[in-house]
Amino acid sequence: MMQSSPLNLRRTIIWIGRLFIGGIFIYAGYAKIFLPIMHPRPSIGIALAFFALQVGSYQILPPWGVNFVAHTLPFAEVALGVLLTIGWRLRIWAVLSTLLILGFFAAVVRSYAAGMQINCGCFATPEPLTIATVIRDGALAALAVLMTVLAFIEARKPHPWAAPQP
Amino acid sequence: MDRLRNASSLALSLAGFLALLLAPALALRAAQSTSTVPDIDPRVAAGSKNAPIVMEVFSDFQCPACKTLFVTTNRQVMDNYVSTGKVYLIHRDFPLPMHAHSQVAAQYSRAAAQLGKFEVVEQVLFNNQEKWEQTGDVDGTVAAVLSPAEMTKVRALVKGGTLNAAIQKDVALGRFYNVNQTPTTVFHAKGQTFPYSGVMSYEILRNFLDQLGK
Repeated sequence: MMQSSPLNLRRTIIWIGRLFIGGIFIYAGYAKIFLPIMHPRPSIGIALAFFALQVGSYQILPPWGVNFVAHTLPFAEVALGVLLTIGWRLRIWAVLSTLLILGFFAAVVRSYAAGMQINCGCFATPEPLTIATVIRDGALAALAVLMTVLAFIEARKPHPWAAPQP
Repeated sequence: MDRLRNASSLALSLAGFLALLLAPALALRAAQSTSTVPDIDPRVAAGSKNAPIVMEVFSDFQCPACKTLFVTTNRQVMDNYVSTGKVYLIHRDFPLPMHAHSQVAAQYSRAAAQLGKFEVVEQVLFNNQEKWEQTGDVDGTVAAVLSPAEMTKVRALVKGGTLNAAIQKDVALGRFYNVNQTPTTVFHAKGQTFPYSGVMSYEILRNFLDQLGK
């Protein structure tokens, strides 16, 4: 017997977070791997080498680190996005996604504060890094943290459709 | 009840996936590739016109990041890719209004280009950027690397006022590419166009050029 609605505020926020952040991750990774804004589309090797230029523009990592991140991050984003959307082992992927987003946010804030005139590189488009990028990434980080915290709280509660305890 | 829960969860997940799969179709359609690069002045370009990769560098002589790109990266590109016929490097003027002497510097470099002296003038302007941006003495900076006879011709060309048209053409082309800062490099290869803003490390750029050249 149902004891409460399956979509209370906490679960709604978790759902929104999963779908929104998961969707953004999938699209961001896909855009970096396939450069959908380009016609004709370049090879994956060219797309990832182009993404490496954008990672390098942040001037945080040495060249080998830039190449490693550029060739692994897009695939990690797609995988995390899919896992987050499916919701299996949610807390693990929520924590990893949140850490990744907080890392992006720190890099964006650092570059903006330093007055670096670079592209964001977030979605493989030539999008300048501005205050709007900082606000957007900050909002995304806040949503990710909220989703993760609520996912841990939710895990402690019995599921609304679960059988009543004897 | 478990079945109902699983079914509703699966349906919602599938709906989410469908929405996500459709998202790329709505992506921004920008930076369309062109098979030809318009308005190339060979006097401000280096390398072979038949090179498989074309690099257009939208630059401002008074911009510090442009100097960094020129000194740290583009010189190595010249040595390793332009001189070997892999890259055709085109200078594009994009003087920013915030820089008081950029337009004058662009005029002097354009005038020098008409005498076949663009490369040396570009070099002296970037190498001495900190000096002439304080004093505004572009003329004196350029005079250090040209003969008196060449300087007379350069001054006449700058006074003639005909060079602004070429500079404005570059600016208009930059706006077409959505250039809004300098340096911005636009790469062309295999019918594709890749705009990139900012300074690039040569080690990372080398990988990209190698991929484009494959």
